[in-house]
Amino acid sequence: MLKHTVKKIALTAAFLLGSTSVFAEVVVIVHPSNSASIDAKSTQRIFLGKEKKFSTGKEAIPINQAAGTASRNSFDNDTLGRNSAQVSAYWSKLVFTGKGIPPKEVADDAEVIAMVAANPDAIGYVDSGSVTASVKAIALN
Amino acid sequence: MNNFSKTVVLLTSLGFAAATNAEVRINGFANLVGGITSSDDALYGYDDSFSFKSESSFALQVSADINDKMTATGQIIARGEDDYDAEFEWAYFTFNATDHVSISAGRLRLPLFKYSASRDVGYSYHWVNTPRAVYAVPFNNLDGVRVDYANYAGDWEYNLQLAVGTFSGDNDLGDVEGKNVIVGTAEVQKDWFKARVVAGRGKTTIDADAVSNIINALAQISPELANDLDLRDDSGLFLGVGLEADFYDWFISGEFTSINAEDSFSPEDKAFYITAGLRFGAFTPSVTYEKLDGRGEIRFLDKVAALPVAFQPAATAAVVGLQQAVADEYEVLTLGVRYDYDTNIALKADISSYTSDIDDSLDSGLLRFAVNYIF
Repeated sequence: MLKHTVKKIALTAAFLLGSTSVFAEVVVIVHPSNSASIDAKSTQRIFLGKEKKFSTGKEAIPINQAAGTASRNSFDNDTLGRNSAQVSAYWSKLVFTGKGIPPKEVADDAEVIAMVAANPDAIGYVDSGSVTASVKAIALN
Repeated sequence: MNNFSKTVVLLTSLGFAAATNAEVRINGFANLVGGITSSDDALYGYDDSFSFKSESSFALQVSADINDKMTATGQIIARGEDDYDAEFEWAYFTFNATDHVSISAGRLRLPLFKYSASRDVGYSYHWVNTPRAVYAVPFNNLDGVRVDYANYAGDWEYNLQLAVGTFSGDNDLGDVEGKNVIVGTAEVQKDWFKARVVAGRGKTTIDADAVSNIINALAQISPELANDLDLRDDSGLFLGVGLEADFYDWFISGEFTSINAEDSFSPEDKAFYITAGLRFGAFTPSVTYEKLDGRGEIRFLDKVAALPVAFQPAATAAVVGLQQAVADEYEVLTLGVRYDYDTNIALKADISSYTSDIDDSLDSGLLRFAVNYIF
């Protein structure tokens, strides 16, 4: 019930901001000290293992969410442009050829926020309604 | 286990021991594939009683970071067609020289096709198995070195790979070996569009009793002609082109390849497939058409004609007979569906119709089911 309300608020906010997509409920979060320029393209590259550094040249450590969570579904579909099974198939190609390691997965928004707040190199995504002052949020749309 | 594998295993264990903080990752995959052909027919190792043996496989991969830049990877696969005897198919070190360049050395997959690297990982594609007309080549693994370069410019992503080394494998005839193999690959990708080209060459040898018997007999008539007909340290050329358009809701892709060892009995193999599919939520129905044309012009007839007339009938029998015996031409039409049960399990089914252009009695229908799992 609470989650539902949060979503509704996020949707309303997106609507008020004139966002092009009412489904854009997920925002990217980084450490407050991270000054890198981050957009949908660079986020996609980092989360698909194609880019290992931020625009500032510092190492980027992506934090993923467990498959099946609302944030993960939304991020995979809207930002990566694939469903979670396709993302998983993409990584299986890299893992079994030694070309890449998928991002670490955590259980929920709160864990992502805790990890990003504690690590200047981390980058994650959470429901825009979950964002706290301990991280810097970046809207992709 | 051969000495090469033993060495790599040993080195890999040393790698584990040397790096106290080494992160060790264990991944694996399993493909349970069962099939049955139409009555009294045989195809891809299946016959008209249901069996899992031909294409099922289980694999375990261990990789360890030796340091910031180096990783050791070993993959053991047990295949149903080999009675599930586990074998080290890959064992290699990767050195990440820069963010864009990595160098791998050991036993690794030759980057010949779009799905070469993940051909054994059923979960990574929409088919029950990769189309054999194109993918069934006797030289998938290379003992050597591969350099990978990946970068992007604007919206274009590109990948370059160069591999050198040796291979050994087998086909229907016998053992196939390649020396001084060099393969170059270029791939580009932008949004929905992907393209790749590949070119490779190597000194190729086929060792098979059936072939040797004919070659040896022919050598008694004309050693020179026997040498021409034989495939022994002869230059083999591999060329391939792949294209893909993926619009998420639907996709179409294809690969076209040519394998040719001109100075031998082995005819040029031209092969291609075209596949298209739709994505409806967790379902991916698809259709695939594949064709192999391995029936080139009969070679060396001019050389037979130059022999003394008395020798010509026997020489013709050897030269034409061998080339006709290995000629092949067929097409396969497959309808299939993939269902994403979970982000690590896919269920699949397909039905194929195989049509031989050489011998009607080889025509066959095949029904297959598969469960692909990754962890």
